[in-house]
Amino acid sequence: MGGILTHHGGGRRWWISVGLLGLLFVVLALILPLAVVVQRSFDAGFDNFADALESASFIRSLGNTATLAVTVTITSAVIGYPFAYAMARSGKMLSRILMTALMLSFWTSLLVRSYAWQVLLNDTGLINKLLQASGIIDEPLQLIRTPTATLIGMTHILVPFAILAIYAQLRSISPDLAIAAHGLGATRARAFWTVTFPLSIPGLAAGSLLVFVLTLGFYITPQLLGGAGNQVIGQSIVEQTNTLLNTGVGSAMAVLLLLAVIVILGVAARFLGLGRVLGIATERNSA
Amino acid sequence: MNAGWTVRILGVVIAVLLIVPTIVICATAFTSGTSVSFPPTGFSFRWIEDVLGDRRWMRAFGNSFAVGALSAVFAMVAGGALALGAARAKGAISTVFTAVSVLPMILPLVVGAIGFYLVYARFGLTGNVLGLALAHGVLGLPYVFVNVLALLRTLDPRVEEAARVHGAGQFATLVTITLPMIAPAAVVGGLLAFISSWDEVVVATFLSDARFQTLPVLMYGQIRSGVEPSVSAVALIVTVVTFVIALIVFAVGPIRARILQRSSR
Repeated sequence: MGGILTHHGGGRRWWISVGLLGLLFVVLALILPLAVVVQRSFDAGFDNFADALESASFIRSLGNTATLAVTVTITSAVIGYPFAYAMARSGKMLSRILMTALMLSFWTSLLVRSYAWQVLLNDTGLINKLLQASGIIDEPLQLIRTPTATLIGMTHILVPFAILAIYAQLRSISPDLAIAAHGLGATRARAFWTVTFPLSIPGLAAGSLLVFVLTLGFYITPQLLGGAGNQVIGQSIVEQTNTLLNTGVGSAMAVLLLLAVIVILGVAARFLGLGRVLGIATERNSA
Repeated sequence: MNAGWTVRILGVVIAVLLIVPTIVICATAFTSGTSVSFPPTGFSFRWIEDVLGDRRWMRAFGNSFAVGALSAVFAMVAGGALALGAARAKGAISTVFTAVSVLPMILPLVVGAIGFYLVYARFGLTGNVLGLALAHGVLGLPYVFVNVLALLRTLDPRVEEAARVHGAGQFATLVTITLPMIAPAAVVGGLLAFISSWDEVVVATFLSDARFQTLPVLMYGQIRSGVEPSVSAVALIVTVVTFVIALIVFAVGPIRARILQRSSR
């Protein structure tokens, strides 16, 4: 009887068997399929990996993906920080308005948002119309099917993750610290850059990391907004499996992508703590 | 120290940019013209009516709803079980339960999609509700896991111990005491899992065929083959459903908080 009093109404073995039930589901529904992807990637020894890495279009997509991930991360941080700061350090009213706008955007489906940007960036879209009406340009700019279009769409989709991470961190910093610095003679800017900003870096880093990793696996948004020459890894993988019907090489590419994600998160977990990064991811999945 | 005026104005400008796409789609759904352009020409419900009267869209709507609901059930059962295991088994086993529950969150969807396709096709699990619901269920499981785990950390263990001391068996305690206590968190997680299934495209594309398509899959196909305002109308419907469920999540939130307060006293 002593045991039950320390194990919440059941022995530890009982709770392990409850957990195993869930584990069984994940193993059958997800881990088995992933194991088959790994197995398929090695079905010709290392040839599938060699084929993937010798393909000029795959190498180009690696470069495109890396460029995209870096630029999306930077724009998300630059746009997300002031927004998060305004949300964390202003009156109830403005704070609520900003949070509502963020949630409306966050809860709009990724497909719908990519579609919206397609409509906006079109040759006859709102942005070209505005530019032409204001006399800045005569002919419509080629915005759609460019890396810039992908960058805009992806930043719009991923910036909420950066904002939520930075916001959570800013909320944990007492505003009194900056006020004290101000009271001791620092200008507002100096108080921010020497007190608040350094303390907010863990949130900024966690949010940026999450945005970076999520960008790596995107498929739909680059497909709808990017051009033929701006293929990313996700598109290369789908091209191999669906168009070229080469699941071996497609699986090898998929394994490389998964490895990259795991390595980056593994390294980051040592410095930031995985919970901090993924705690934000649970708000809403993406990609 | 409060944000200065420049930062506040910048915040408002960014807020507008954040919601512009959502507004554009909602507005174009009500156009009376035949092309998707913003600002829309005229106002009418013709495209909404068009979609509501179209059997293809309506069948996709039904498929999406069935897949979402069933996947939420899978996510709630499996995610809840894993959370109970992770919270109460100690050491390495608890770590395994947590790692497995977090995996779907970091997995690039394209990678998962290939795996699902390769395995599910062998068991007749493509082109039907069950197959896609299994895949979406496992992808939505982290939402349940995280919410239930957070709630379990705050529960008073003496409640369950009291049931055991008074003669309830392990199973009876689980069903009559533990599950009702974690139900609100599981429901919140389940609703989030439903939403993630509701607008998921990549895996759904791999597991669908010409006869079985979900709303996002059909929408994606339409967007690629040439846009007409009916796509905006569908996008509007998809968005409204998501917003309604998100509001329910926010409404259930306070109930959850009340339960937490009650049990911590």
